[in-house]
Amino acid sequence: MINRRDFGKIGLAAGLSATMGTPAWAASGADTAVKAAQKYKGLSITVVWEAGLQSLDPTHFSGPKWKELTGMDVKVVEVATAEMFTKIMQDYKSGAGAYDALNVIPAWMPDLAQAGALEVLDPYVQKYSYASELQTIAPTFRDNWMKVGDKIYAFPDDGDVFIMYYRRDIFGDPAVQKAFKDKTGKDLAVPKTWADFDVVGAGLTDILKSKGIYGASFFRQPPYAMYMFEERFRNEGGKFFDANTMKATINSDVGVKVFTGMRNENKFMPPGVEQFGFVENLAAFLQGQSAMTISWPPYGRWAEGYGTDQEALNWVPKTTIAGKVGYALPPGGHPELAAGFALSISSTSKNKDAAYLFIQWLNSEDVSRQRVQLPYTLRDPFRNSHYTDPGYLALWPNAKDYLAALKQASQTGLLDLSLLQTDKYEEVMRQAISKLWAGEDPKTILDAAAVQWDDITQKIGLDKQKNVYAAWAAKSGAYPKL
Amino acid sequence: MAAIVHPDRNFKYWLISPAIFLLLLIGLFPLIFSLVVSFMRVTMLETDTSFAGFVNFVQLFRDGRLWQSLAHTVLIMVVALPIELLLGLAMAYLFLDRMPGRQILVSLLMLPTIISPIVAGATWRLLLDNRYGPINQIIGWFAGHPVPALWTVNPTLVYPAIIFCEIWQWTPFMFLILLAALSNVDRSLTEAAEIDGARFWRSFRYVVLPAIFPVMSVAILIRGLDLFRIFDIIWALTTGGPGTMTETISVYTYVQGFKQFETSYTAAIAFLVIALLTVVVTWAIRRMGLAK
Amino acid sequence: MGYQAHGAGKMTGVPFHRRAETKLALRYLTALLLVVIFVFPIYWLFAISFKTPGEIFAFPPVWYPKSIQFNNYAVLFKDGDAKTVGNSLVLASVSTFFAMIFGTAAAYSLARFKTGGENLAVWIISQRMMPPVAIAFPIFLLYVWLGWVDTYIGLIILYTAFGLPYVIWMMRGYIEDIPLELEESALIDGCSRWEVLWKVVFPMARSGLFATAVFTFVFSWNDFLFALVLTRTEVITYTVQVTHYFGGQSNFWSKIAAMSVLGTIPVFITVATLQRYLVRGISMGAVKG
Repeated sequence: MINRRDFGKIGLAAGLSATMGTPAWAASGADTAVKAAQKYKGLSITVVWEAGLQSLDPTHFSGPKWKELTGMDVKVVEVATAEMFTKIMQDYKSGAGAYDALNVIPAWMPDLAQAGALEVLDPYVQKYSYASELQTIAPTFRDNWMKVGDKIYAFPDDGDVFIMYYRRDIFGDPAVQKAFKDKTGKDLAVPKTWADFDVVGAGLTDILKSKGIYGASFFRQPPYAMYMFEERFRNEGGKFFDANTMKATINSDVGVKVFTGMRNENKFMPPGVEQFGFVENLAAFLQGQSAMTISWPPYGRWAEGYGTDQEALNWVPKTTIAGKVGYALPPGGHPELAAGFALSISSTSKNKDAAYLFIQWLNSEDVSRQRVQLPYTLRDPFRNSHYTDPGYLALWPNAKDYLAALKQASQTGLLDLSLLQTDKYEEVMRQAISKLWAGEDPKTILDAAAVQWDDITQKIGLDKQKNVYAAWAAKSGAYPKL
Repeated sequence: MAAIVHPDRNFKYWLISPAIFLLLLIGLFPLIFSLVVSFMRVTMLETDTSFAGFVNFVQLFRDGRLWQSLAHTVLIMVVALPIELLLGLAMAYLFLDRMPGRQILVSLLMLPTIISPIVAGATWRLLLDNRYGPINQIIGWFAGHPVPALWTVNPTLVYPAIIFCEIWQWTPFMFLILLAALSNVDRSLTEAAEIDGARFWRSFRYVVLPAIFPVMSVAILIRGLDLFRIFDIIWALTTGGPGTMTETISVYTYVQGFKQFETSYTAAIAFLVIALLTVVVTWAIRRMGLAK
Repeated sequence: MGYQAHGAGKMTGVPFHRRAETKLALRYLTALLLVVIFVFPIYWLFAISFKTPGEIFAFPPVWYPKSIQFNNYAVLFKDGDAKTVGNSLVLASVSTFFAMIFGTAAAYSLARFKTGGENLAVWIISQRMMPPVAIAFPIFLLYVWLGWVDTYIGLIILYTAFGLPYVIWMMRGYIEDIPLELEESALIDGCSRWEVLWKVVFPMARSGLFATAVFTFVFSWNDFLFALVLTRTEVITYTVQVTHYFGGQSNFWSKIAAMSVLGTIPVFITVATLQRYLVRGISMGAVKG
């Protein structure tokens, strides 16, 4: 018979477990999913995944494992990044219903949800008791990437965030420090503001150029630079729109200041940096040609050589800077959660329940922890537990600093702008950046861009967009608390 | 005579029916679909299938970016097509007569057209990179100092880069077709003209040109139409940038239709394009006497 | 002997055979120069398939790889990527075959009988005027309805249909080049119309057939947009597969290069071996008498 004291013990146990995130008596998200999926043995589901490196996860690891555990066949539909949105939307609009589970970039979610392409996940989360495990996803991702409105549409699955990587050996070199102090009168330190960055970058280039080293290099191609602009603009206090009138305010003084800054910085970067994409910038950094750069988490892993012995990563230039890399937040302290991926279900899928179980399993604590540590993975840590996982910490000597930086970033990160028809606004920004590199005047460019943004808003419907913007701006990651 | 006349009537239709059937099978539905949808408001967010009148077509005429993209397209055509034609013709003459290893050389020259245009674009992007590409390195050798030409970013260099890559890729097309056409020209005619004392240009103008004209004019037509649809090289090098400076009609339509799902508007653009091209092509056909 | 009459007025003191030699040498030099210019980017791509990433992104650029190892190619076969080249081969060859047959037949009809007049000819070529993006989605819808998405038959029919306008127009031009008398004399000799096609027209138009077939094949081979829209997992073509190597956070240059080389070899070999059909040779002139 259960008496009051037993009740107390149970309550205590429950309370303790609750603070650790999972009720002690409940099975983990992974176990629940596996158990429930037994009835789908022999079923085949499709999942849309980014082609190339990302797909190795489901084709080499999670797909086979899931099949082993549940007998369900996972067919990976690999799609090049640039075509993912198109294929998902086309499949939905045609009613073909060929896709079950989806990888979506969170910025697409308003469009996809509005169009009706995504399945609402709340009923499934409740049915399979996954809510508590969703809570343990790192706050910025959890609070910004899961919902459209108040409904859950996707599970954040990839902790994409911009991190600043710098050469500890250069910053810690006494000769360089002295030369820097002599030249600028300031102490050499990792810049915390963009004004600092300008001084440090230019100074280092002056000192080290003879050795073929530049103060910094960035990926300046418009699609990437656009994310950097979104980050820096907000760190400097800029707002995309006036919340009341819904007029674009990217051409404010802040915007002009950022554009001008970006262009001036190119001067102390490798010549031709305007053409740098992800890999060109990676090569420059890994080959020791730049002292600072900003990019996604993989740079950090590959700079240490983690996984680069894998065949899948044999395209990554060999690192010459292992052990010499330091990690910090980009200047301003609020990094962009650029792109990212979340797992979702197609609303026209014929196997929604089965597909849901697969993504719950993928996203669960147990499985996601393994997935972010795969040597060839592009999935970055996104759960609280990932940042303190002993396995991850042991991957390379400085991994704890790396994870600490990622964790910090996950708490202060900024969400990509996502509205209805986000791509139209982003297209304007990309074109504006290309004009910037072409030499046009920043104010002129931004004024024109603001006009185009307003046109787009008008066409979509000012009130409609205003509501979506308000919902976006209310998210914790929309604007930094400066 | 009657025995020959009768089979003709069905023969010519038998010959052409499989082709017509396939063309209708694939071509008819998209045409009808586009026509119907262009009078609706089908976008990414809403599928409003009510009759929307000419609203998409009105937008067409107001859309400055569309007409600019058409202008860019015409610019590229007008520059690239003559160069490809003349260069291809010159090359065809060069390889017309016997030469050791001609077979290999001609096959090698085909490689630019065989390579996927997407890969060609990406390769050129790498070749033209200021830091990692050999082109600027070579230019630097000739100039004696590093020349930081940013071919995909600098507004004065983007068009030369695009046009050069386009010519590189498609001149072999003209070359092979003209080589085939020239080799069909009856040698006895050209030899007779030479014996009569005709110099090369007269022989070309009055003997060769009329002989190769049917094939050459079709090649020009096809190449012209394909140039009009130029996409991959531009997308790989500049994605239509800087700004929208190198945006051609295909790039613009791609963004509208593929990325932003403006289905109705794209359909309207398609009709505008077909209408314009039909006019031009019909005029060209008459002018070149292709359908006499 | 007869050569001496050539341009007799322009003869200089230089012996003719020496002039022919210098002319040949000049031609050859120019030819080589052209080949170098046109093939250089292909060479660069080929070199990339052997380079290490450090060599691909080396400053200053590295012109030839340090070691030739075929690992990148082996990986493509091991991972099954090379199968996509096979897919493209099947799709392009079969569709080219049918496009050539149906298209040349139609071209003959247009050339000799003016079937449908100018309007039909213009309608046929108008198929090539449609911006691909505009018809990609409707064709996708059509194929969903027909159940042809991600099937070989679907893409074969598509590429055949796409190739037809080109084949019809090109072959019409080549056929018009053939003297009518040849066909008429064959008819008088008792050949049926089909025999005339087979025995007179096809051989005479050989070089045209070859040139047209090469590019019909190349156009199907290089198609990206429709292969992207109409395939998912079963019939991935090599053009689509190559784009998988371009990621937002990755660029498998060695795979891109190796795949492209693999994708180019079959076509290159075909073009090289079928070249003898390109030049008809002097003998044909003799037929005319």
